Amino acid sequence: MFRGFAVSFDLVGAGLLLLSDAGQYEGALRINLHDEWFPIVELGYGKADHMEEATQIAYKTSAPYFRVGIDRNLLKDKHGKNRLYGGIRYAFTSYKVDIFRPEFSDPTWLWPVSYEIMGAPCKHHWLEVVLGLDAKIFGPLHLGWSVRYKRRLSHSEEGDFGNTWYVPGYGKYGDTRLGGTFNVIIDI
Amino acid sequence: MKRLPYLLLTLMLAACSSIDCPVNSLVESLYEVCDSTGQNVKMLDTLSVFTTNANGEQVLLNKGTGLSQFHLQVSQSHPEDILVFCFDLVSVQARVTDTVWIKKEDHPHFESVDCNSAFFHTITDLKCTHHYIDSIVIINPSIDYNYETVHFRMHI
Repeated sequence: MFRGFAVSFDLVGAGLLLLSDAGQYEGALRINLHDEWFPIVELGYGKADHMEEATQIAYKTSAPYFRVGIDRNLLKDKHGKNRLYGGIRYAFTSYKVDIFRPEFSDPTWLWPVSYEIMGAPCKHHWLEVVLGLDAKIFGPLHLGWSVRYKRRLSHSEEGDFGNTWYVPGYGKYGDTRLGGTFNVIIDI
Repeated sequence: MKRLPYLLLTLMLAACSSIDCPVNSLVESLYEVCDSTGQNVKMLDTLSVFTTNANGEQVLLNKGTGLSQFHLQVSQSHPEDILVFCFDLVSVQARVTDTVWIKKEDHPHFESVDCNSAFFHTITDLKCTHHYIDSIVIINPSIDYNYETVHFRMHI
């Protein structure tokens, strides 16, 4: 039944962190059960540090997150070198946000206005439906891709200040519900 | 090749993004004009509302006529707003003024980095002079994006 496990690292999240102001470092541990079922744990650390030029609002957050779930090999030949996964994940993160705008004048009263929400604790639970590929390159090295559809289950923001923008592990809430990964996978 | 359109459609869906700022992003208070019995009435006299800023007098409402309801701006971040209500009496061609002091708590509100900064308010206290105004009652102390919620009932 137990046929080993694999560790992987996502390059998309790391690339986003390098090239933009929001992204994550993410790794995963996948257990192989008879080349058909693959329980998986994904752990990551998401960060955002963004200043929007148009509104002058700065948004900063960083926090770990995790996903647990299971994938199933959808191919007829379960024991082949390559795999097509379909799976589901439950995900959770607890994070704090800093939202800040440099002091500006009230448009009518002209008083100086200070706008800041600092260290506000937030929580976010969500589900993901995953479709992925795993291709053997050589030896224990695989490369894998996944497309994910995310759906928020529940959320809370202490202080009732409204919504959050970037959620570690989820991405920018309110944006598209689709996401993806490109993984480097090593069989152990 | 047959699957290419579906792949492109998926990529396009992933690339699409939206900005979800509220259509109505004004945070204003709503006053309802009532008579002594609490019945909503139309004012026969003309109302102008002023406040004072660093540049002097600032008009918030300019010669409103036949008003049964009116919106007024709320300062974004200040513990107390002082408003001067000027009633131009139609019958005797005279002006009567009342001063209204509104104490409040201001809460920064955030939707997205793409949406302008906003404040919601909780009214904690209100007092006024009574040369024209009989009384102003706080109906709903929470001032947010809801444009239709009556916050104050002004009895004349």
